[in-house]
Amino acid sequence: MSLKLSLHTKPDVPLEADVICPDKLNGVNETAIAALTVFHGNDQTALGDFFTVKGQCDGEIQLEGDLANVKHLGSEMTIGKMIIEGDVGQHLGACMSGGEIVVEGNAHDWVAPEMTGGKITIKGNAGHLIGSAYRGSPIGMQGGEIIIHGDVKNETGNTMRGGLIAIGGNTGDFTGVNMLAGTIIVLGEMGIRNGASMKRGTIISMHHAPMIPTFSYVCTYNPTYLRMYLSYIRKLGMEVSDEQINGNYKRWIGDAIELNKGEILLYANE
Amino acid sequence: MSENIKIVKNATCTFCGCVCDDMELTVDLDEKRIIKAKNACVLGRAWFAEHTIGDWPVAMIDGKEVSKEEAIEETAQTLVKAKFPIIYGLSDTTCEAQRQAVAISDIIRGTIDTTTSVCHGPSGLAFQGVGESTMSLGEVKNRADLVIYWGGNPAASHPRHFTRYTVTPKGMFIPNGRKDRTVVLVDIRKTPSAPVADLFIQVKPGKDFEVLWALRALVKGKNIDPSIEEETGVSLATLEDLVDKMKNCRYGVLFFGMGLTMTRGRHFNSGAIMALTTDLNEFTHFVTKPVRGHGNVTGADNVLSWQTGYPFGVNFNRGYPRFNPGEFTTVDTLSRGDADAAMFIASDPASNFPKVAIEHMKKIPVISLDTKQTETSNLAHVAFATSTYGINTGGTVYRMDDVPITMRSAFDSPYPDDEEILTAIKKRVQELVWAKQGIKIAVGEARVA
Ligand code: SF4
Repeated sequence: MSLKLSLHTKPDVPLEADVICPDKLNGVNETAIAALTVFHGNDQTALGDFFTVKGQCDGEIQLEGDLANVKHLGSEMTIGKMIIEGDVGQHLGACMSGGEIVVEGNAHDWVAPEMTGGKITIKGNAGHLIGSAYRGSPIGMQGGEIIIHGDVKNETGNTMRGGLIAIGGNTGDFTGVNMLAGTIIVLGEMGIRNGASMKRGTIISMHHAPMIPTFSYVCTYNPTYLRMYLSYIRKLGMEVSDEQINGNYKRWIGDAIELNKGEILLYANE
Repeated sequence: MSENIKIVKNATCTFCGCVCDDMELTVDLDEKRIIKAKNACVLGRAWFAEHTIGDWPVAMIDGKEVSKEEAIEETAQTLVKAKFPIIYGLSDTTCEAQRQAVAISDIIRGTIDTTTSVCHGPSGLAFQGVGESTMSLGEVKNRADLVIYWGGNPAASHPRHFTRYTVTPKGMFIPNGRKDRTVVLVDIRKTPSAPVADLFIQVKPGKDFEVLWALRALVKGKNIDPSIEEETGVSLATLEDLVDKMKNCRYGVLFFGMGLTMTRGRHFNSGAIMALTTDLNEFTHFVTKPVRGHGNVTGADNVLSWQTGYPFGVNFNRGYPRFNPGEFTTVDTLSRGDADAAMFIASDPASNFPKVAIEHMKKIPVISLDTKQTETSNLAHVAFATSTYGINTGGTVYRMDDVPITMRSAFDSPYPDDEEILTAIKKRVQELVWAKQGIKIAVGEARVA
């Protein structure tokens, strides 16, 4: 039987609930879960003050209610599954290394910063800095998958070094900035200054995008690995057409200021 | 003019980040005002002239005059009760007062942020990400033979920057002053600063990053496509000429302003200019510096960094400092409706914040400390009137190049200074928090501020 947490009192200020994570709740009984610590602003209170706890966690947690102001859910998660019915606040799945999180609504900024493994799916939109490095940190996301069906804002995959980010909608500016390695697929349009300072890694978009002056055009081609990637995300429910899977892509390389080994692939048959 | 005149030599002007400390003030002690400020620029003269002693009460609660003690008690109770209290402002007060504000936010486990977050906050982020090759303004005066201003208009905002530090003064290795220096101005329009420059480069609005990036590439010997002109409005030849100047100077400096930090790209724009400076150090000595606005905003960065480890947007909710601009910066905590109490020190966010932030301010208890009545003090639950730093209060301020300068007061004010009020608030919140913790936390765990 899975564990169900339903929000009964909406927090007035941000609620930091990093205890809500299968690793920490597996096998714990209802009363003990309700007594676990959460931070309501600066007030250290109990999880039960906000959530009704029902069942026991056998690896799966279901969350209900408007969690837009609830932060740090699934922090450092390594196993299990979390299903979030509505919207969710910042720092979802921060530093997670395994397991799966599914969000039916929208997510806020900082989805899965510095993630090393596992999978996050967001059916709605998300904010800035998806899969990024925390400020001052040298490496962002290193592995795992982030699948977002809607739009996102700026700095997607800032300093990422591995893994896959797939965005169904549009991205803001500086997608893949400082990227070290890894893959970002954007089915919608990208903002400006994508891939600035990137060393390696791949950014793919289905639309034309403005290039910064330190990127240069190389060729138009049809790479095999891309077909596999696109077929994979289509299987996950993203809208990818046959033309896109079989089509040609313009390859730009950069950033010349850095190693010049990063690539941006733009769908050529648009 | 009365007979009771006092001359204050080597006084300090704190209106802008230049913090000129060579003022000669003539004070009319009967009328309690400064009648002359020798050496000050227009802005400095206005600053000294407008700070007379007002006649509003020292403390008010909901618009009614109360004693200072009552107001301090109400402030402390409000702050301790709040779950997400924020403290903001701090750029126009002394480092001594800033220190007390940090202590208060630590005790109440609040969030502290300064006006840096709405001016050069992006530069703060870039310092952390890219690093800063820095200097003092004295070095610029004595050594710089190439001075570049990017996205700023010091002739209007920092009138004595050119004459005191960067363009006209003669220095140890710049014996002929202006003649020995090359001055370049880069901006999106011709400003009053342009006539000072030998070379003015006009960039299309919002294209600073692209120009800086192209310069970085050229400095590193990479090719840039001539189509750069169409995109940015600056020809390849101009860029190559500028790179030539930069590589071949003896000591170059890049000053940048809010034209860079507050336009699209923000911290990446500041980061680009800092990275360009780093690149240039392969060839010659090159430094960079943001041209900071308010008198002691640099001090606010320094005090916060020194006490919490981070320059702005610091949160203590969990008992230890965390830094995350966008999450803990004041515009965001107000716009999202996170904050449930706010204390504004020497700043008037109600007049310049986005509308949704101001709307939220009206819903929560606000405490304001200011030298004059402002829109913020008008909507405040508790409003303190304090004396003006550098005029009625001594203390320490930091010049924009992180050089601390000690100020003296020119004449006394009947109002208390920010430090005095904040120290009293700190003492009271500490007592209240200890009383609260006595119930919730076992003895021995209580933190001592
Ligand atoms: S330049 Fe700035 S600090 Fe100097 S006198 Fe003018 S306003 Fe005051």
